[in-house]
Amino acid sequence: MKKYWRCFVCNDIHFGLKPPEICPTCGVPHAYVEVTSEEARKVGSLTEVEFSEADFRVAIERFTAGNEFRVNPDKEKVNMLLAGIFNNERNHGLKYCPCRLTSKNLAEDLKIVCPCNFLIHETYKDKEDGECWCGLFIRRKK
Amino acid sequence: MKRLIMFHGRECPHCTRMMPLVEKLFKETGIALEKLEVWHDEKNADLMRSYRPVIAPKCGGQLRTPTFINTETNDLVCGEIDYEKLKEWATK
Repeated sequence: MKKYWRCFVCNDIHFGLKPPEICPTCGVPHAYVEVTSEEARKVGSLTEVEFSEADFRVAIERFTAGNEFRVNPDKEKVNMLLAGIFNNERNHGLKYCPCRLTSKNLAEDLKIVCPCNFLIHETYKDKEDGECWCGLFIRRKK
Repeated sequence: MKRLIMFHGRECPHCTRMMPLVEKLFKETGIALEKLEVWHDEKNADLMRSYRPVIAPKCGGQLRTPTFINTETNDLVCGEIDYEKLKEWATK
């Protein structure tokens, strides 16, 4: 089961089965200690991080840079999808995929927050011209 | 009463691309689908959710748009499809 971990030097928070060997923020090795959800939430609540729509565009480009997939070069399509994603965040709280619908069960709905794990989608898996369900991400040409 | 519904999203490119085919279907056959937008209309969203047990098994375990459903037979297709497949579904 995933747990919360906190770097005792810089308060970096990690959520996972085990903590990083070296803190990616301050570089100190073996720095993480397991903490309660409440403690992790309080540390996270100290700083409101600005993250604009433009930042998300940069984030998905960076995310795809080292991967076998890329952001769809069809700018018109991407703009429509991002408009939907941002509308969904404003109206429904998270960056939900504009080509699917929430079920009102958060654990289930987290599976459709962009970027989702589209590697398992039948529209992507084992397909040379694969893309995620909505088409925001497509497999790079070999 | 039989309803032929197209659940769609305003910012879903697959749905946008299906719209001219839905219009063509109407012009050719007189069959008009009920186009229900689900991200900007909570009533439509809840209606789509009510069909989850029918839709999800055929749509990757999720509610995906577009979904075309015949509420009488629960016959459905989801995603972008060609005109012939749309017509076949609508005229079944």
